[in-house]
Amino acid sequence: MRKEETKLLNEKTIEENVLTSRDYKYGFYTDIETDRIPKGLSEDTIRLISKKKNEPDWMLEWRLKAYRHWLTMKEPHWPNFKYGPIDYQGVSYYSAPKKAGQGPKSIEEVDPELRKAFEKLGIPLGEQKRLTGVAVDAVFDSVSVGTTHQAELAKQGIIFCSMSEAIVHHGDLVKKYMGSVVPYSDNFFAALNAAVFSDGSFCCIPKGVKCPLELSTYFRINAAESGQFERTLIVAEEGSYVSYLEGCTAPMRDENQLHAAVVELIAFDDAQIKYSTVQNWYSGDKEGRGGIYNFVTKRGKCLGRRSKISWTQVEAGAAITWKYPSCILQGDDSVGEFYSVALTNHRMQADTGTKMIHIGKRTTSTIISKGISSDESNNNYRGLVKIMPSADRARNFSQCDSMLVGNKCSANTFPYIEVKNSTATLEHEASTSRINAEQVFYLKSRGLDMEAAISLIINGFCKEVFNELPMEFAVEAVRLLQMKLEGSVG
Amino acid sequence: MTDTMIAPTEKNSLFMEQLDTLTGPLKGEKSPGWVAQLREEGLTRFRKLGIPTVKDEEWKYTNLSAVAGHRYTLSAKSALSPAQRKDILKRYCGKADVNIVFVNGAFDKELSNLGKIPPQGSLPAVGIEVSTLQEAAKNDPAAVQEIWAHYDPQKDSAFVALNKALTQEGVYIHIKDKIIANQLICILHVTEAPGEQIATFPHAFIRLGKSSEASVLETHVGLNDENIYLADPLTDVFLEENATLHYVKAQKESLKAYHVGTTRVWQKRDSTFNGFSLVAGALITRNNLDVVINGEGAAAFLNGLYSVYKNQHVDNHTSVDHRVPKATSNQLYKGVLNDAARAVFNGKIFVQPIAQQTNSYQLNKNLLLGKDCQVDTKPQLEIFADDVKCTHGATIGQLNEDEIFYLQARGVPRKIATRILTQGFVDDILNRLTRDSVREQAARMVAPSLEVLEG
Repeated sequence: MRKEETKLLNEKTIEENVLTSRDYKYGFYTDIETDRIPKGLSEDTIRLISKKKNEPDWMLEWRLKAYRHWLTMKEPHWPNFKYGPIDYQGVSYYSAPKKAGQGPKSIEEVDPELRKAFEKLGIPLGEQKRLTGVAVDAVFDSVSVGTTHQAELAKQGIIFCSMSEAIVHHGDLVKKYMGSVVPYSDNFFAALNAAVFSDGSFCCIPKGVKCPLELSTYFRINAAESGQFERTLIVAEEGSYVSYLEGCTAPMRDENQLHAAVVELIAFDDAQIKYSTVQNWYSGDKEGRGGIYNFVTKRGKCLGRRSKISWTQVEAGAAITWKYPSCILQGDDSVGEFYSVALTNHRMQADTGTKMIHIGKRTTSTIISKGISSDESNNNYRGLVKIMPSADRARNFSQCDSMLVGNKCSANTFPYIEVKNSTATLEHEASTSRINAEQVFYLKSRGLDMEAAISLIINGFCKEVFNELPMEFAVEAVRLLQMKLEGSVG
Repeated sequence: MTDTMIAPTEKNSLFMEQLDTLTGPLKGEKSPGWVAQLREEGLTRFRKLGIPTVKDEEWKYTNLSAVAGHRYTLSAKSALSPAQRKDILKRYCGKADVNIVFVNGAFDKELSNLGKIPPQGSLPAVGIEVSTLQEAAKNDPAAVQEIWAHYDPQKDSAFVALNKALTQEGVYIHIKDKIIANQLICILHVTEAPGEQIATFPHAFIRLGKSSEASVLETHVGLNDENIYLADPLTDVFLEENATLHYVKAQKESLKAYHVGTTRVWQKRDSTFNGFSLVAGALITRNNLDVVINGEGAAAFLNGLYSVYKNQHVDNHTSVDHRVPKATSNQLYKGVLNDAARAVFNGKIFVQPIAQQTNSYQLNKNLLLGKDCQVDTKPQLEIFADDVKCTHGATIGQLNEDEIFYLQARGVPRKIATRILTQGFVDDILNRLTRDSVREQAARMVAPSLEVLEG
């Protein structure tokens, strides 16, 4: 019965795919045998997930604690969104490609169908075809299907593996750090994630090591009526450096799928973590049907002195984005950065921004946010800069600019600034405007067509953020924005 | 002192309980039926909303439990001494101005000069109508009723509803079409009731006819910094086509008083609202300034200065709603904080879908001089039209050390240097007040909070 359903869905998506491939080229569906648990959420579901993953008891206990806490919480409705109720019982909380099993021993053992799917996404899993200088952990629905370059990284003492693997092999580390930045009681979606999370990436950079490769996780939602709940944990020990990339896509479907992830970063003395995201979940069609609900909690803790955490994000997909990558600047002289481009089109809704919590002395933070809103979409910047009484001589600079393309979209800015220490210095500026007609005219008079002109201007608008992205991703991000804005101007 | 023992929710219920006692004396008044009805509407609305708590997003940074924890009376038994009356006349009532004075919430005929509005130079004062609300309601009930019911009571905030429920006295100003009123119109509220905790709910209407112009100064002062009282004033401004209003609200209540005021402005085509808000007094101040731009080509200027010290708390909420195309709004709020003072600024700009070609600017600058002061600022843009230019900014910082050093190197003691530089920061915004007498009065009001810098 289920198989028939999937097949039907499959055909439908292919058909739609052809029709709208211009908008979303990752909308395909891979027909692959899956091992999924029935829909619904209860303590039994959680026990089942935990059992499937051969988790130790402490993990299960933690999940159950989170679940019990989740039951007492209410879904937050303060963001500037309109959406129907989410049926948490209508989701299958675990869906894994059958042949993936308990994590393949090597990349060559990964199911060829899966490898094909990832190749189509531009993420070759085969080591010989690997992206130069990037190690990838590929997450397909609920499980990690393969991690590349593990051996090479291990030589330097770097642990980079899927979360399931980490819980089994590096239990002590996971136990120590998981939930220390985003506790299960943090918010509604973080609690849900803590209860049902199925996989994710774990990364630990030892003292003094500069990670030679870009580490990366690629998230793919494939199965229908499922959600993706992954958890990423990155620990950078004293004096280490790591650059981490995250990408995501999903097939085109009429239903809304839930993605509730948690990312935790911990940086010790003099450590640096650079976390970049290019988010391109399916965002729904022109009428706002379907798309991913992206409710993500991302937080980094600058625990050590002179540590630095930098978030860079390009948010171009998902029907709803609710995401505030934050920095807790605890160590003296620590630095937090947030660079963001959020593009919304069709009927997408985005409520995104950052939180900078200054606790240590002389902590500094920078926020650069660029919002582009087109069609009938709604793009919000919501940020918090909080200077605690202990943060002497803290410094913050924030800039959030919005650009409106078309007259049915909206752009809102909600910056919260709370200063409890009088030696702090803060500057905040924000602007909202539309594309400068004179600039467009100038470019057109030099032979560029409308779309090329707008694309060039948008690129310039976002340049400060793109400059922060690693090379390959910057090129990808530019193309992504071009593709998204195609046809929305004129 | 016992106040601190009571939980906030209990305090709120304490306040709600006394509503009956407060409204009791109003039942016997001989007001027309429609006034009674508006009162009832206000009361119902307030009972529904209650005193806002910090869980309410609009009141996130201002805790009203201290305000709610007192028992208030509507009228005071005490009266001003002759010396105090003389002092008020000298300080606040210019001879060339139109003065309308309220003492402890009640209209004071002697201090006011409504009977004989001063002429404008050689011209007699025609087309300028300034009266108490009661008188206006008697003379021209239809007009008063119409504007009183202008806003949907179902959308009123708690303190607007409370004002409507309990207002007894007020002002009605009407400038007829094509009249330029050069005289300054001063509305003065003096509160001086030692030992009594009184609450006042004055309601002012300012109506400007087509192509008219006027200057209004609304002042709230307390004579003694030890008095505890609550002021909940409401001012409604209506500007017809091409009208220009210069409006200043200056507040220097007692340092133990609470001031929760609202000013609502309704602008029609090509009108100009030139507003200035000064806060120097009160323990807790909350000013709501809501501007609705409902006519093309209209312009709104919202300037503000707050200079607070000790444990004062000042909260400015502004909202500019652009409902039509081609309007402009411009806001600049500056604040000086000393000691353990706390400031909140929340500026909202709405640009509705049809309000194309809107230009809207907003800037909030805070100077932190005290060791324990706090600032919470939230400039907010909600934009639904694309052809707009909107910006906002906020800064929080200290005086420039290099500038202090420069002055010190020239023999100026550090404290004086601080005062000079702070005065410069303040004067920048005070200089936007074009009328000398108003600017001087404003400077006098902020002086005490700046003098402490030298001490």
